[in-house]
Amino acid sequence: MVESKQQWKAWLYLSPAIVLLLVFTVWPIINTVRMAFLEDYSGLEAIGGRVFTFGIGNFAKVIKYKSFLKCLKNTVLLCVPTVLVSSFLALLIAVCLNSIKPLQKLLQTIFFLPYVTNSIAIGMVFAAMFNIVGNLGTKGHDIIVTAGIINNIIEFFGGHAVNWINAGSTYAANMTVMIIYIVWNALPFKILILLGGLQSINKQYYDAARVDGTSRTRIFSRITVPLLSPMIAYVVITGFIGGFKEYTSIVGIFGESMGPVHDSGRLNTMVGFIYDSLSRNRQGRASAAALILFVIILIVTLINLQVSKKKVHY
Amino acid sequence: MKVVLQNLTKIFPSRNKKSNEEVVAVNDFTFEIPDGKLIGLLGPSGCGKSTTLYMICGLQKPTSGRIFFGDDDVTDLAPENRGVGLVFQNYALYPHMTVKQNILFPLQNLRGADKPTKEEMLERAYSAAQLVQIDELMDRKPSELSGGQQQRVAIARALVKMPRVLLLDEPLSNLDARLRLQTREEIRRIQRETQITTVFVTHDQEEAMSISDMIVVMKSGVVQQIGAPQEVYDDPKNLFVAKFLGTPPINVFEGRVFEGILYIGEERILSVPGADDGEVYVGIRPEGFILDDGGPLHCKLSSVEVMGRDVSVVSTNPFAVSPVIRSIINADNKVNTESETVSYSLKRHKVFIFDRETEERVYFEV
Amino acid sequence: MKNNTVTMHERDMQKVSVNQRIGKIIALVLVYAFLIFMAIAVLFPFYWMLNSSLKSLDEYRQSVPTFWPKKVLFSNYATAFTKANLGRLFMNTLYVGLVSTILSLVITVLSAFAFARLEFKGKNVLFAALLATMMIPGELFTITNYITVSNFGWKNTYTVLIVPFLVSVFYIYLLRQNFLQIPNELYLAAKVDGTSDIKYLWKVMIPLSLPTLISITILKMMGAWNSYIWPRLVANDEAHQMITNGLRNAFTETTGDVNYPVQMAAVAIVSLPLFLVFVFLRKYIMKGVSRSGIKG
Repeated sequence: MVESKQQWKAWLYLSPAIVLLLVFTVWPIINTVRMAFLEDYSGLEAIGGRVFTFGIGNFAKVIKYKSFLKCLKNTVLLCVPTVLVSSFLALLIAVCLNSIKPLQKLLQTIFFLPYVTNSIAIGMVFAAMFNIVGNLGTKGHDIIVTAGIINNIIEFFGGHAVNWINAGSTYAANMTVMIIYIVWNALPFKILILLGGLQSINKQYYDAARVDGTSRTRIFSRITVPLLSPMIAYVVITGFIGGFKEYTSIVGIFGESMGPVHDSGRLNTMVGFIYDSLSRNRQGRASAAALILFVIILIVTLINLQVSKKKVHY
Repeated sequence: MKVVLQNLTKIFPSRNKKSNEEVVAVNDFTFEIPDGKLIGLLGPSGCGKSTTLYMICGLQKPTSGRIFFGDDDVTDLAPENRGVGLVFQNYALYPHMTVKQNILFPLQNLRGADKPTKEEMLERAYSAAQLVQIDELMDRKPSELSGGQQQRVAIARALVKMPRVLLLDEPLSNLDARLRLQTREEIRRIQRETQITTVFVTHDQEEAMSISDMIVVMKSGVVQQIGAPQEVYDDPKNLFVAKFLGTPPINVFEGRVFEGILYIGEERILSVPGADDGEVYVGIRPEGFILDDGGPLHCKLSSVEVMGRDVSVVSTNPFAVSPVIRSIINADNKVNTESETVSYSLKRHKVFIFDRETEERVYFEV
Repeated sequence: MKNNTVTMHERDMQKVSVNQRIGKIIALVLVYAFLIFMAIAVLFPFYWMLNSSLKSLDEYRQSVPTFWPKKVLFSNYATAFTKANLGRLFMNTLYVGLVSTILSLVITVLSAFAFARLEFKGKNVLFAALLATMMIPGELFTITNYITVSNFGWKNTYTVLIVPFLVSVFYIYLLRQNFLQIPNELYLAAKVDGTSDIKYLWKVMIPLSLPTLISITILKMMGAWNSYIWPRLVANDEAHQMITNGLRNAFTETTGDVNYPVQMAAVAIVSLPLFLVFVFLRKYIMKGVSRSGIKG
């Protein structure tokens, strides 16, 4: 009696979730795969009655497409250094935070602060900081009235002002700004996770190491890092997954042109490519790109897991 | 290496910031641990025994007092410079290293001229492993070992750098009863073989009594009594020590001394020449009772538990502080289980009397 | 094994000890220096945002930057508020955030309850299937969902901002784990007493898992506040625009000759609610984040 009653009750409670998931999760998976394998599929033309043939043309085209390759390059160049730098910095900060008593809570709060920010909004702040304020020539780099605060600081220490993001800026300068911003944005989550991991390590390991006269660097490399390795692996893997989906932080700094004024689209990423295709009604191409992104993320995750299987102590 | 503790005191600031109450974990502890002996620090939890151990080790700094290893004052020395080996209560084996790596770890920390070659390190690791009989488990991870084996690895890791003093924090508390018996013999044997001055902490009096050369009984930070186990058992200085040592525990009665005679209730129990008149506690070891129908102490018989060689007679007495009185009698003596009462006479040297106020021992001529 | 340690002379030992203490102090100074430097680097953009937002345009453009406005100018905030139509954006975002949070909580609680407490055929298979969808990047869904909502005629409505994201498998998972920790005997006892499921949920399960529910609420609200891509695709008209899109649209230029003080004032206004939430509910956010690993 109770059993059968539970059956229909369970489905009743689950029904809103299941209906929504069917429409907005399950169907998209099927449909995206379908669209990806229909040659040159376009939603508008489908309504117009055009019939599409099955094939892998979308993938072939996407891979050969120059702008896609550029997006892929940008994504990788943004993803790999930011994940490595932010993971390493976060580890260093977490270990330092864990070793102090006074100010620990305050600093911990400060380091978490960037997490609760809007990446578009703070991107605008970074743009202001790196901007050259009075660049009067829109095309060239003629009359620089005042450099932004970052350039002010560089000049204060005797360096030369750099055109970071304005018209005429170099790709390397653009990427540097993006990497700084993305690292700034990625730190809080990583610090939180790593610090949590550090605090759950049994203090006795450190007492034991002290009695044995272990040096600071050895404690770090032989005890802290191995015992923290599951957390480090987690932070790196989620970092890669998030890094391959980078998009809004670029919009935050460069706006929707995804690049400096003279070269829009220069910093476009994989996700940006998908949305561009979508807004041009090229659903087939967008779907193929999304599937490629999924496969790349999957492969990177699997590689990460494989590496950590060897290195990570659970 | 002889270890000298001189007026050792440790005061912890109050955890609660509002009240300024300090906790005196160890109060004015003075003791000289002779070279090459096995010493048991014994007491209930919170008595300061672990704090004392950590101070000897250097993980905690005494508030006042000095610690000497031999003639060296090590009070201000960091733990790594003291040459101590410490075995933690839950072993603190590095879970990501194999047994071999765990044992090698302290050696790899050595620097400069002290640093042995790789071969020497391995040799020392293996001889330490052999000593604790785990040389066949060298490539396992700690998680693949039983509790007893982990314990041995921890001891090997502490011994491998040839410490001047070996410290063990509750070494047996994480083992089951059977392993505990076995491991404590092991510890005794290892200590004998290495001749390293060893201090261990325990709350289990049986454990301390069975293997220590000397025991130190502590209570609320204050040393109660120091001596060889049998000596402390036979001649406790106060009621706490008498109660803390011995299984089954000592039986305590309320009594009084009047003109050299010890009374429990109205019964004249024993003549105690030399003891002053006054209200006292009377402690009688379970083995201090002799079945004797004409004996002076009458109790109400509750039950008789046969333990093979001995029988344990459980009875009650209105003046007993503990709910039941437990005596151990040789099984040759037949106890009349039908009877309602049981009468005892007492072995004089198994009877201790303590002042009712101070709980200090009141001596009488035996 | 023989005890053959070399006894150090007392004076040597004291020297070692002093050296070590000096080393310790140096290390501590370095640690604090590093942490404080990083903390400044983390805080600097916030400081610069506030500092700039209070300056006049002329002062902002001076070749030597001022680290505190000579004349504090609050009018930038008023200008920003009207220029970006922030009032409307706030209301839109708040509305979408609140409605989607409430509906999402109801759906999540009911689903988690079914998975944690009820027995039905295919429960484990269904749950595993749900978890598997978490692996797939959201972009893959967006393409089809865009077509779907267009077909439904939902473009430029609040519905389109709320409905597609009501179900989060991760939140269901999180809450189910929480529910599982509540002993089943409580549920059976309630059944014996004739308590209805809903009443039991309301009186027992929800109070006991309140911290998780609060975490979910905060993350959901932060999600609404930070959402950008989906609203830009499907509801970028003035009536339904969300705060991030509105902000980005109002200030399309980020480089060159821009009125940064006003822009920074707008950014500060948009950041303030998140900041307040952070100050008062830090504990829940950190707990939620450390378990979820997602950016709100």
